[in-house]
Amino acid sequence: MTTAAQLNRRTAALDGLAKPAKTPLSSKRRDSLHGWAFAAPFVIAFLLFLIWPVIFGFYQSLTSQSITGANSELIGFANYAEAFGDVEMWRSLGNTLWFTVLSTIPLVVVALVLALLVNLGLPGQWLWRLSFFMPFLLASTVVSLFWVWMYNPQLGLINDILSTFGLPAVDWLQDQNTAMIAIVIATVWWTAGFNFLLYLAALQNIPEQQYEAAALDGAGKWRQLFSITIPNLAPTTILILILQVLASLKVFDQIYQMTAGGPGGSTRSIVEYVYETGFTAYRLGYASAVAYVFFALIIIVSLIQLRISARKGAS
Amino acid sequence: MKQPNAQVETVSAGLTRRNMLRGSVAVLGGAFITAALASCTPAFAQQVQQLKFWHLLSGGDGIKMNALVQTVDAENPEFRATQSVLAWGTPYYTKLAMASVGGRAPDVAIMHVTRVAGYAPGGLLDPWDRKILAEEGVTEDSFLPRVFEKGVIDGELFSVALDTHPFIMMYNTEIADQAGVLGPDGLMQQIDSPEQFLEVASKIQQVTGKFGISYGYLGDGAQMWRLFYTFYAQQGAGMVLEPGKPAEVDMDAAVKALEFIRTMLDGTIASASGDYATAISEFIGGGSGILLTGVWELPTMQNAEIPFDAAPIPTLFGTPATYADSHTFVLPHQNDPDEAKRRDVYTFVAGILKNSISWAEAGHIPAYLPIVDSPDYEALLPQSHYAQAAENVVFDPVAWFSGSGSDFQNYFLQYVQDVFRGNQDPHEGMQAFVDRLDVLLSRPNPLAPADAN
Amino acid sequence: MTQTLTPPASSDTPPRIISARPRRKPFRPSSVVAVVILAVLAIIWLLPFAWAFVTSLKSETDAGAVPVTWFPEGGFSFDAYTKVLTEGNIPQWAFNSILTSVVITVITVVISALAGYAFSRIDFTGKKVLFFVIIASIIVPPQMLIVPLFYQMLAFDMIDTYWGIILPQIIAPAMVFILKKFFDQVPIELEEAARVDGASRLRVFTQIVLPLSRPILAAVSIFVFIAAWNNFLWPFIVVNDSSLMTLPVGLQTIESAFGVQYAQNMASAILAALPLIIVFLFFQRQIIKGVATTGFGGQ
Repeated sequence: MTTAAQLNRRTAALDGLAKPAKTPLSSKRRDSLHGWAFAAPFVIAFLLFLIWPVIFGFYQSLTSQSITGANSELIGFANYAEAFGDVEMWRSLGNTLWFTVLSTIPLVVVALVLALLVNLGLPGQWLWRLSFFMPFLLASTVVSLFWVWMYNPQLGLINDILSTFGLPAVDWLQDQNTAMIAIVIATVWWTAGFNFLLYLAALQNIPEQQYEAAALDGAGKWRQLFSITIPNLAPTTILILILQVLASLKVFDQIYQMTAGGPGGSTRSIVEYVYETGFTAYRLGYASAVAYVFFALIIIVSLIQLRISARKGAS
Repeated sequence: MKQPNAQVETVSAGLTRRNMLRGSVAVLGGAFITAALASCTPAFAQQVQQLKFWHLLSGGDGIKMNALVQTVDAENPEFRATQSVLAWGTPYYTKLAMASVGGRAPDVAIMHVTRVAGYAPGGLLDPWDRKILAEEGVTEDSFLPRVFEKGVIDGELFSVALDTHPFIMMYNTEIADQAGVLGPDGLMQQIDSPEQFLEVASKIQQVTGKFGISYGYLGDGAQMWRLFYTFYAQQGAGMVLEPGKPAEVDMDAAVKALEFIRTMLDGTIASASGDYATAISEFIGGGSGILLTGVWELPTMQNAEIPFDAAPIPTLFGTPATYADSHTFVLPHQNDPDEAKRRDVYTFVAGILKNSISWAEAGHIPAYLPIVDSPDYEALLPQSHYAQAAENVVFDPVAWFSGSGSDFQNYFLQYVQDVFRGNQDPHEGMQAFVDRLDVLLSRPNPLAPADAN
Repeated sequence: MTQTLTPPASSDTPPRIISARPRRKPFRPSSVVAVVILAVLAIIWLLPFAWAFVTSLKSETDAGAVPVTWFPEGGFSFDAYTKVLTEGNIPQWAFNSILTSVVITVITVVISALAGYAFSRIDFTGKKVLFFVIIASIIVPPQMLIVPLFYQMLAFDMIDTYWGIILPQIIAPAMVFILKKFFDQVPIELEEAARVDGASRLRVFTQIVLPLSRPILAAVSIFVFIAAWNNFLWPFIVVNDSSLMTLPVGLQTIESAFGVQYAQNMASAILAALPLIIVFLFFQRQIIKGVATTGFGGQ
């Protein structure tokens, strides 16, 4: 990063700036003061915009508060009771889990395949990386605009391609049977590039000697793939799985933008349900309760992941 | 940031990437410079008051509204209205509520009159000052009583009506003529019963060889509700939604209306499962002779240059009634309104009303009587053929959750679509919808202060 | 939770940057097959871009014409771009996006670096507990906070303001963690020498530590900037006024008064996508490194 010579020059320069120490405080107390002073800007923002909303959101979930602030009486756990009996809440939760399952698998497999292929060392590395990673740089809105257009039943490219193979047109985003799959395809296109990069980095960290040794033992390319490459990628795969599951559970943007949860609520995610109950139906209190149900889901999934990865680490 | 490896990479990546860079930089640079210049010019030219005007009108309506706004701006050089168009329905009303709560709402907005009852009690709207409206020549007498009264809540005027837009019947005059269903005056014959309506439709179907009637509803709760509520109200039935009490619904009338709709959607008289866009193109393409639709589709038909006329939905069940809603002007709540701006808003709204003959061209029935009573409007065809519908309109039952683009219509879609499609018993589907209404009614209006409930 | 933050490679060894030239191997028939597969996949990946771009160059009539074609009858033109740039709100939204993203990035990086340094170098009362709380907070999904934060912004009278967009986006606990990890690896001897000479903490931090941290600061900045630039949900909640919207929110929320216009839609989307793509072409290496080292936990 920086050479020793450079560092020496920097310290030499600092000598001129240095002032004599003059503080009467004990060094421990002074350190404490300094520590808090350094951390203060972050900590204040952290308390204001993260910790307080978490606490206040829980308080809200115990009230019947509306978006105008009216009706803010404490009603205990009535919102939670309502949520547990709310068919739409369960349906959104189910849709969220279904999206997570549908999206996580291809997001790992596709990313791995892309990384393995690119890592073969074909010419035009920057072009491959650009092609697969570029969608990740797009805002969700842009992704949705692109794909709503691709999926357009009459004017879209996808149905056009299908028709050249003699296949019937599909109402991708308007049909309950295909809407979620269509959203998953767009999502894979959008975010696979990120996992692809993680895999690419991991692939390049596999020591060359392992392959050389295997080649000496007469192992073929496929054999090497399954006995060296894939096992070496295991930690990365676990990491990607953990990140991906959590990211997919939080889905909102592309669903809201492409189908607004439709048709007939078949793609509505739990975050979208929080948004709708809070801002469309004005019930901030109830929306907060749903948000806490969502939070509980995230915590449970995280704990399960922690258990699994801890066990993997131990064995 | 420069590191030795980066250099290597640039070299090995070769010229192609560099060329691509140059090209894209040129395109983007050019684009943003144009943009910067373009956005600067009007900023210099304007010393005038900017009125933020929100609405949800797009397509033909949007073009007409844009022209209207420009006309009024030109008449009043002291202000200029800038429009923000949001997606119709839930997205629009969600944002409008959030903006009003936030206190920096737009200066004026369009709202369906059926939504006013949900917004006004929560303080999301500021009332209009009738004195200032009168100064601008807009008074109670300028509107039909029932249209004006819809905007009054607890004695305060919260909305000023621009139009009434009922659900109507359009028919292809050539096809109807061939089917022999026109009267001696060349207009659709008088239809008084469900049987007669189906008979007319069958005759038309024999001419088209496809369908008699086009009606699209699939996935569209608003569209389903419009037809259902028309036939429901024609039986003299009402619907009362009072918070804290179960919904008062005439189940027999509801079932009768649904059964008739199912008879109609039999796959011959009308397509069993048409969506909105398909129904329109079906009617334009001559696949049917009658289209059940809102007045706002008038420009579409005129542009398609087909021979057609329009009439109110025939009274099939005794009582003349037609579902309608009304676009109105409201003042979204501002914490700190600028009085001078507010005054300009009154001038702006009055200006739109006085020029609303051009709004009538988009199919809507103007609410401002001096326009409706003018010879210009009388001469407007087919608009004047259905203008009488305004006298028999029924609006959504009043509740904080009802109205155009509301959850109410989404629930109707959710519970009753299978009835329309013939997959569910009408009574069962309707009951599920009513049960849902009861749940909503059991909760207080979340926006209203507790003592108002 | 710390496991989810650190790439396995970087906890003990510094992460290897993806090299520009992977190991070259001699070409074989199997490589030809690989090239073909890769090319097909790349084409599939680029297709939505290409289709959007071609559409944006069509006239509205051609864009809405059936059957679909890559080569419109009316030829290509930049009309849709001229239209959206002169008549629409895109320039205003682009300005808002740049302003808010830059401010968010600067504030986030400054406060996270200060805090990261404190956690790495200074012994202060409550440090362990505080650090634990900050790390644990990474589990809180920002999506669940939209309701209380909206209410809080109402109380602060910040709905429909730039600060309303910016403030809730400046807390990035994961970045504090990443910066602390980095500072832990910087040799302490230099700082001690300067301290002995009487330099203040702040001076040591700004004159010695920060210059040494440029690569990680660049990586964190890039990551924070991309996240802020593309963020949809929070700006969507807090802004209703179209003149304050960022690009992603404006494109989603504001419609054309003239109905659906496919070519202009696609031109807007391309314009919104271009800035980051160009930045990426210039700083491909730094961005990839930034994402690979800081992307964890940032989602």
